[in-house]
Amino acid sequence: MEEKKDREYFRKLAHQLMFDLSDEEADGIVKEFGELETQMSLLDQVNTDDTEEMIYPFEQATSFLRDDVVTNVISQADAMKNVKKNLEGHFVLPKVVK
Amino acid sequence: MIAEMVKDRDGVNERVSEAVEKAHALQESLNAVITFVDPAKQLEEMPEEGLLRGVPIALKDNVNTKGILTTAGSRILSNYVPIYDAEIAVRLQKAGAINIAKASMDELAMGGTNKTAYIGPCHNPWDTRRMTGGSSGGSAALVAAGVVPMAIGSDTGDSVRKPASYCGIVGVKPTYGRISRYGIIPYASSLDHVGYFTRNIKDACVTLKVLAGRDERDMTSSFKEVPDYSALLNSDVTGKKIAILKNVVDGVSTPEIVTMFNGLAEKLRKRGAIVEEYAFDEALMRAILPAYFIIANCEATSNHSNLDGIRFGVREDGADMAEIMTNSRTKGFCSLIRRRFVIGSYGLFEENQERIFRKAQKVRRKIVEALDECLKEYDAVIAPAAGTIAPFIDDQADQDALGEESVVAENYMAIANFSGYPSLTQPMGFVDGCPVGVNITCRGFEEVEMFNIAKAIEEETGLADLVAEVK
Repeated sequence: MEEKKDREYFRKLAHQLMFDLSDEEADGIVKEFGELETQMSLLDQVNTDDTEEMIYPFEQATSFLRDDVVTNVISQADAMKNVKKNLEGHFVLPKVVK
Repeated sequence: MIAEMVKDRDGVNERVSEAVEKAHALQESLNAVITFVDPAKQLEEMPEEGLLRGVPIALKDNVNTKGILTTAGSRILSNYVPIYDAEIAVRLQKAGAINIAKASMDELAMGGTNKTAYIGPCHNPWDTRRMTGGSSGGSAALVAAGVVPMAIGSDTGDSVRKPASYCGIVGVKPTYGRISRYGIIPYASSLDHVGYFTRNIKDACVTLKVLAGRDERDMTSSFKEVPDYSALLNSDVTGKKIAILKNVVDGVSTPEIVTMFNGLAEKLRKRGAIVEEYAFDEALMRAILPAYFIIANCEATSNHSNLDGIRFGVREDGADMAEIMTNSRTKGFCSLIRRRFVIGSYGLFEENQERIFRKAQKVRRKIVEALDECLKEYDAVIAPAAGTIAPFIDDQADQDALGEESVVAENYMAIANFSGYPSLTQPMGFVDGCPVGVNITCRGFEEVEMFNIAKAIEEETGLADLVAEVK
C-alpha cells in the first residue's frame, strides 16, 4: 500500500535531507504536494513515448581528455578559513563515534 | 554609455566614487546590496586598457569573489568568504571593471521575487512598493537606478529576463556554454546560465565580448569563437522572420501590454521584418512550468547537499555531526527552500524517478523540439516578457508557490533554459508608470542576430538608457 503523504511523511523525508520542518511548513508541503500532482497531470498530457530524456542543452559528448596538469591548488590554510573550528588541519566536531 | 565611460580615462575615480555614493544613498530605499566592496585596490590594480576599464559594476552575490563575502542570499552562507574568484570575476577584472557591490538575490537563486533574500526584499526603483522580481533583483535594481551601467546576474528559469522587464532595462541570457559558470554558486546545473543587465543594447554587446569564451574549468563551456558583437551590431531587420508566441500573448492578463506589444510588432513589420503569429501546442506550453519546477528542484536538492555548516557556512551547535548539520540546515535555509528540497528529493526517489524526474526531462526534449521546429522557419521568437508590471511586495499571494494553474505568460521564458538558446528582455513601454519588457529568443549561439533585432526594437521604442528616479 502506498504510504500516506501526510505531515509526518514529509517530516521524515526532511530528516533524511538533514533539516527539520515546523508543523506549518510540513502542512504547506502537503498542500503543495497536491498541487504538484495537478501539475504532473499537465506533463502526462504530453506523449513522450519513444522520447529520450534531455539531460543538458547541446548534447555533445566530451570526447577528449584534459591533460592532468596541476592548477588552482588550495592551501590547507585557505581550506580552513571558512571552518568554525579546526585543529592541525582537521575540521573539529564535538563527537563522531557514539 | 560604457564605451563613452571607457574613453573618459580621467574621470574614473570620480565616476566610481559617484557610483559608490549613490549605491549607499539608495540602500535604505532599495535594499539592493548585500556587501559594499571597497574599490580602492581595484583602482590601483586597474589595467591600462580594457573594454570595461574604469566602469563601476555590481555582481550578483552568487559569484565567488576571493576575500569578499559571498552569501548567495542565504543565511547559511552569510559568513562565507571565498578563497577563489569565479572565472567571470577574473575576466571582468582583466577588462578593467570595478566591482562596487555584491547584489541582493533570492536565496540560492531559487525564487522569482527577490523577497527571499536573507537581508529582506529588494525594492523596485520605479516604485519602491513593488518588487524587482528575481532572482537577480539586486543587480537589476542597481542598473535601473543608474548606480552602475552593468551588473551580473544568473538565469535558471528567467532570473535575469523577468527582473529586466520589471525594472525597465536590458537583461541578457546568452547561449548555454557561452559564459563560464566556474565559481558561480549553482542552482540547477542543466539550466543555470550566467547573464547580465545593461541599459542599452550597445552595452550588452560590449559586455558579452568580455564575459564569453572557453574556460577549461567549466566542462559545459563552449569552444566556439566569440564574435565582435559591437562591430557586427546593426538594426537592419529587413526580411528577418520573427515569430510571435501566440500562446503567450493570449495569456497576458494586462490589456495595455498586449496593445503595446502588437504596436511594436507592427513597427517591426514597417521596418521590413516578416512578423507572424506562431502557436505552439498548448499542452506543451502548459507543461513548461511543471517540467521546470521538477528539473530545477531535483537538481538543486543534490547541488546543495554540501551546505551543511561543517566545512564552510554558518554552523549551529549540536551534540554530534548529524545534529550540527540538521540544525545548521534548518536555521540556514528559509522555509521555501526546505520545501523545494523536499519535493526535489521526492522526485529523485527510485520509485518516483521515472514518473516524475525522467518524465520532466522527456517533456523538456519535446518542448525544445517544438522550439527547434519554429526556429527552422523563423530567425527569432518574441513575446511580452511578463503578463503584468512588477507586483507589490506586500501582495499576500505567494508568488513563488506552486499553483494549480500553469500560467503560460508568466513562466514560458524557461524554454530558453531548456534549450540553452540565447534570450534577451528589453523595455517596450510603461503601464501605470512602471516598465514592461519584450523578450526575444534566437537559435543557439546566434547572439548577433538577437542583438540586431533588439537594436531595431530599441530604435523603435526609444527606450535606451532609462534611469529610474527613486522616490
